Amino acid sequence: MLFDTTQLALERAIEGAGKRHEALAANIANANTPGYQRVDVDFHGALQAAMGGDEDSNTALEGLSFSPAKDASAGATRADGSTVDIDSESAKLAANALEQQAAVQVAHARLGILKAAMGVSS
Amino acid sequence: MSLFGGLEISASGLTAERLRMDVTAENLANAQTTRGADGQAYRRKEVVLQEAPGSFGASLSAAMGGSGNGSSGGVHVAGIVQDTTTPLKRVYDPGHPDADAQGYVSMPNVDTVTEMVDLISAQRAYEANVTAMQSAKQMFSRTLDLLR
Repeated sequence: MLFDTTQLALERAIEGAGKRHEALAANIANANTPGYQRVDVDFHGALQAAMGGDEDSNTALEGLSFSPAKDASAGATRADGSTVDIDSESAKLAANALEQQAAVQVAHARLGILKAAMGVSS
Repeated sequence: MSLFGGLEISASGLTAERLRMDVTAENLANAQTTRGADGQAYRRKEVVLQEAPGSFGASLSAAMGGSGNGSSGGVHVAGIVQDTTTPLKRVYDPGHPDADAQGYVSMPNVDTVTEMVDLISAQRAYEANVTAMQSAKQMFSRTLDLLR
């Protein structure tokens, strides 16, 4: 099969990291908004559930959708009730970007193997 | 496209923080202005920030069955309000043309230290948004490299 479960999972991970970046960027943009509640995307959990469920992994991965959710567990870090800590948001953003890069690189390598097998010079 | 959304969100943060810097600069520039737009002493202005509703794309995906709850479109400037709670400073200066019968002049309620702190806070938040933007750009160009 040309595109197996791993490749599909990598694609979904790249997409999930993109969505998570959006959520973290929104948190940073709202760093000075009083009473703002931080949002996050748990794409790791969604991927894990899709790959470990009873359903066929490919089908589950195809139907996966990532949506940002308000992080109710975060306590207020500011006097105005905002739960955004700009330092931790920046750290999460940097870590997320690296994670996305790692997934892209693995996907790239796998595509390279396919290309080599097909005799396409890259 | 999800990463373009990230760029837009960071851009909204940049706009909001730049406006905060502009308003702070206006407050500092008018720290001694005794004749504001209404003829009274200048009153300091403040920017009210608000979480922006989801972007068009997010609303669309929510309408099409995706769970788009809690999605954010970044930050939105709700308005610029005048600070009418902090009292104006009363300075005794009988020679001033705007002095009242007792010789007191109403000076703007601008506190330079507060304004400087606001300025630094806006500047740092601006930088954080720039970093997020650069990161989004990098992520996007790496993903495009998959095509090579």
